[in-house]
Amino acid sequence: MPSTPSASAGTAPSGTATHCPYCALQCAQTLTPVAGGGADGAPVLTVEGRDFPTNQGGLCRKGWTSAEVLTAPDRLTAPQLRGADGVLREVSWDAALDHVEARLREQRERRGADAVAVFGGGGLTNEKAYALGKFTRVVLGSRLIDYNGRFCMSAAATASNRSLGLDRGLPFPLPDLAGADCVLLLGSNLAATMPPFVQHLEGVRSRGGLVVTDPRGSATAALTAEGAGVHLAPVPGTDLVVLLALLHVVLAEDLVDHEYLAARTTGLEALRASAAAWWPERAEAVCGVPARRLRQVARMLADASPSRGGRGAYVLTGRGVEQSTQGTATVTAAIDLALLLGLVGRRGSGYGPLTGQGNGQGGREHGLKADQLPGYRKITDPEDRAHVAAVWGVDPESLPGPGVPAVELLGMLGRPVGPSALIVCGANPVVSAPDVSRVRERLAALDLLVVMDTVPSETALLADVLLPVTQWAEEEGTMTNLEGRVIRRRRAREAPGGARSELWILRELAARLGVPTGFPAEASAVFDELARASAGGRADYSGLSHERLDREGSMHWPVPGPDHPGTPHALLDGFPTADGRARLLPVTHEDPADPLRADAPLHLVTGRLLEQYQSGAQTRRVPSLLAARPAAFAQMHPLLADLLGIEDGEEVLLRTRSGELRVPAEVTEEIRPDTVFMPFHYPGEGSANLLTGSATDPLSGMPGFKVTALEVLPAPRPVPVPDVVTVQQRSIV
Amino acid sequence: MRIVVIGHGMVGSRVAADLAAADPGARLTVLGQEDHDPYNRVQLSSVVAGKADPAALALEQVGPERARVLRGVRAVRIDRASHLVHDELGEAHPYDRLVLATGSAARIPDVPGLRAPGGAAEESPLVDGVSPLKDLDDAERILRRCDGGGEVVVLGAGVLGIEVATGLAGRGARVTLVHHRERLMERQLDRDASEIVHGALETLGITVVTSASATGVDAPEGRLETVHLSDGSARPADLLVLCTGTVPQTALAEAAGLECGAGVLVGEDLACPGDPDVFAIGDCAQPPEGASGLVAQGWEQARRLVESWRPREEESRAPGPPRGTGGDLVRVKAVGLALVTMGRIERPGPGLHAPRSVRLADPSGGRFTEVVVHEGRLVAATIVGDEDAAAELSAAFTLRTPVPRDPVHLLARPLAARAAAPAASAADMAEDDVLCQCNGVTKGTVCAAVAGGCGSTAEVSRATRAGTGCGTCRSRIQELLDASRDREPAPV
Ligand SMILES: Cc1cc2nc3c(=O)[nH]c(=O)nc-3n(C[C@H](O)[C@H](O)[C@H](O)COP(=O)(O)OP(=O)(O)OC[C@H]3O[C@@H](n4cnc5c(N)ncnc54)[C@H](O)[C@@H]3O)c2cc1C
Ligand code: SF4
Repeated sequence: MPSTPSASAGTAPSGTATHCPYCALQCAQTLTPVAGGGADGAPVLTVEGRDFPTNQGGLCRKGWTSAEVLTAPDRLTAPQLRGADGVLREVSWDAALDHVEARLREQRERRGADAVAVFGGGGLTNEKAYALGKFTRVVLGSRLIDYNGRFCMSAAATASNRSLGLDRGLPFPLPDLAGADCVLLLGSNLAATMPPFVQHLEGVRSRGGLVVTDPRGSATAALTAEGAGVHLAPVPGTDLVVLLALLHVVLAEDLVDHEYLAARTTGLEALRASAAAWWPERAEAVCGVPARRLRQVARMLADASPSRGGRGAYVLTGRGVEQSTQGTATVTAAIDLALLLGLVGRRGSGYGPLTGQGNGQGGREHGLKADQLPGYRKITDPEDRAHVAAVWGVDPESLPGPGVPAVELLGMLGRPVGPSALIVCGANPVVSAPDVSRVRERLAALDLLVVMDTVPSETALLADVLLPVTQWAEEEGTMTNLEGRVIRRRRAREAPGGARSELWILRELAARLGVPTGFPAEASAVFDELARASAGGRADYSGLSHERLDREGSMHWPVPGPDHPGTPHALLDGFPTADGRARLLPVTHEDPADPLRADAPLHLVTGRLLEQYQSGAQTRRVPSLLAARPAAFAQMHPLLADLLGIEDGEEVLLRTRSGELRVPAEVTEEIRPDTVFMPFHYPGEGSANLLTGSATDPLSGMPGFKVTALEVLPAPRPVPVPDVVTVQQRSIV
Repeated sequence: MRIVVIGHGMVGSRVAADLAAADPGARLTVLGQEDHDPYNRVQLSSVVAGKADPAALALEQVGPERARVLRGVRAVRIDRASHLVHDELGEAHPYDRLVLATGSAARIPDVPGLRAPGGAAEESPLVDGVSPLKDLDDAERILRRCDGGGEVVVLGAGVLGIEVATGLAGRGARVTLVHHRERLMERQLDRDASEIVHGALETLGITVVTSASATGVDAPEGRLETVHLSDGSARPADLLVLCTGTVPQTALAEAAGLECGAGVLVGEDLACPGDPDVFAIGDCAQPPEGASGLVAQGWEQARRLVESWRPREEESRAPGPPRGTGGDLVRVKAVGLALVTMGRIERPGPGLHAPRSVRLADPSGGRFTEVVVHEGRLVAATIVGDEDAAAELSAAFTLRTPVPRDPVHLLARPLAARAAAPAASAADMAEDDVLCQCNGVTKGTVCAAVAGGCGSTAEVSRATRAGTGCGTCRSRIQELLDASRDREPAPV
């Protein structure tokens, strides 16, 4: 069983020091039990912000109310099994696990190891991610594992690895941003998604150097008002054109850091040739940003760069530019820009992606990604396989090869060549994956769906076996935040009823499936093994343990030894590439997979709201958050509303190649008139992902969430909606 | 498959690089008359303006392992019967398919004194100080003659003439822009727009002379000194830049018996009607929809050609129809002057389904906008002096996104999203307006906390959570604290 709270050094006399369950900012919290809590829905814990470099004591509304999910009225506290009559009923743990064991054995005997696939989540602790990856490869012997982080960080990860040899999220601590003269924020609405982050932008705003690109006048774009910076509102899907124009200007006006380029990079000539084709006036007609503004931003960045006497500049990317079928190319261009100006691997400047999910970073480092082994090792590399196999005590030959990325994996489910059983852990793909009608159809075609969740999420409700698990305040572990900082999650209360940690469940299942050792239920023991498995890998945690983190506080990886102080600033001494240099890589702009058509002449973009998180499974269960944002809507400009002849609040019909739905319009000037925005937190008819397509970026497998060709019609009267959202009968293939 | 490309300019280099990538089996030969790697010709006006480094113009090109590229070698004859291209060095290059991408040449007007005496009129070089702007060598020549000052005459106020005039003026030269018509850029601008551009150019320090042409040039000792104009005036000049149009390079094709109009005639399939193995793309070609003289059209032709030749199971097919490239969008790259035209402005009489057009002319503001909307789309526009409108309308035109039924809306406000207006001051907010967005705390709640004794923003934050997210509302909390203090009677 996990250690008791009192055994943890992070327990201040007044409460338990931990971090928020939600986003990658991982704001520090102190949790204190409430005497007599739980009765009549009273909270069981109070939440307070705790001073920490990332949040400086702040929390957003989601963090403040996070304890309410612990006592959600429909919290799962006992395993459930779907009976022959199709109804889920509570059963004992033994009954549930025996059932899963029998069904998994049956599928594997009939169809081989790849009959079972695993779908993980970016909210799982490092320990759970590690154990789940190991379980898939060692116990199931399946190559088919991937995770919802694919929808989040895959483009940035692919690009960072290609260009810099390293993907650690931000390779510098967040407070460094305060000193910069210019920060270029591409496609992130952090003022809404992670508000305490904004404190780190105060310095650059006071110097007028914040540049935000977003087709919406988002809360983050508003931070550029009153002389704090510049907002560029490019046509959706053309962020790469903006970047190509910035690259063009920096090269044409010779604003680059020659010394740095000569000493630390390769590939300048090919990049020059690809940027030469995008002079600002050409870019302007494609991206809708004035050529002069493009030049101005390029010069702002250059003037802020150390080689030209500036205090420092940063280029940061978010999902807005990454969730595209050219996401990897777009991030590559952002990195190219940072490299040309000599920003990367230098104190006070840099490039970084802003991770979305709480542990999106650690999840992929330690085994949830189809092609990766713990320590950011490659599953295709013989040495990497041998190292991990030795730690796991198995023959390297027995480890499966690389699987397939998430969207492809979901598309294979229940098909003759695909897996017939799926274990979902910490994910709600029925809401969060692209083209969710297709996802539902694929899940329905499975023989077995096992879901581990804390609440009956939309995916959980489709399960054959539903296993209740612990929440953040009920467990021990570690998370790796957006700056590659390894932090401790600590337990502040016992899990209710029969809820168990995924670590315990995996141990029980492994034992039943013939692997009685190697799956401790104790998080600190799992971490110790993770540390050994990561030793010598790119994400080296070998110098860390729960005990050390409790004693010395959080630490940035790599931490290759017990005396190593951690690496707040990565890349200072060179790039972990074969020749130690970063790669400048040429990029080309392609039209979106789903370009505008005469009958779909608008752009649909999707995104998050301040009050909700991801698929909303948690935050929709917090009454105050739900009250603030009860349902989906379609944000549009008054000019578009006028064209449709509708008023604020009236229903509209949105239609794309993937599906259609009806939602009320929210009319605001803060969006391009050629664009409609929909939040993706909602299930059923309000699910934005009924509309998105399943085309992905060829390099990273990232779905093109951020650009879908859209038709909008006024829908004042109820119109029959095709039956895309009802649960389909499960059929046996 | 042996493919020979003649011309290694913007379009020839693109088609060669893309062919090499699309068809590993293709054997490619490229003949380029210029002794340079392919470069971005469009940027030459920026080079002249000092806004682009000539060393930064290199375009993507096919690698030596994939193609034989001959630089500084001119093709002199096409022998269609034996499928050979002869070059000036005497080598013959066999082809299965031949792509002409010879571009266009600057049109040199027939002005007495322009060429050095002796030699045949067409062949002899221009006198020192006179140059068109067509290639890198021209740009370098102009830069040598005018590096930041001097007297310059620019002949021709088309798109290029305006770019060159503003570029050189921006570098400190005294520029006279001479145009033979009354309207500047007469193919794109009407009288009102032209007048506003005229005014804008004068604001930039350029002397604009319309309805005049050059009648002679004095160049004692072969070096330009004076340009004589048809209005009788004489302008001292260190440099005369000829921006008097371009002519497609069709001589090779014509000599080979291929049908030529203004350019080499090609069908929808980009092949010459008389010879299915010869193709023409870029500025030298004359396709059924007409040539624009803009690079977007040539690049789109290159894409279509490569796409149709891409090796696939079936036989190669004819190229698909041209894709909209915002074809006739003309963006003048003038320093200090936003000027864009797109589509054809037509002004039909009243009618229910006729295009609707609205214009705004603001001569003293240096601003002019005219938009034409038809069936919910922007079909034409001219924008002078408003860079936001220029960018937004260009995108709407290129993407064919829906625009307001009433075109007035397009003039009244820019299309793109504007960052939210600065937050209202706390005093202007109603009690139930949300003051702290991150935590959804209303002004009323904060006021109650202040009334309840909170004396600092930190105390208010502790009591209400307001200000604990992004922190940008702390100034408004402070405002409420100050206001409450002011209301309290001063302690005696
Ligand atoms: C200063 C300037 C500014 C411009 N600005 C813009 C703009 O803003 N936007 C825009 O869209 N367009 C602009 N253009 C036009 C654009 O440059 C052309 O549309 C484009 O270059 C056409 O490409 P092309 O390959 O057909 O011809 P070119 O780029 O002219 O290339 C043709 C090449 O073929 C070579 N060649 C010719 N004959 C032979 C032969 N017999 N053997 C071997 N080689 C031969 C030539 O030397 C040349 O190198 C501008 C042009 C200039 C000069
Ligand atoms: S959701 Fe993110 S920003 Fe909000 S409190 Fe949690 S970690 Fe902080």
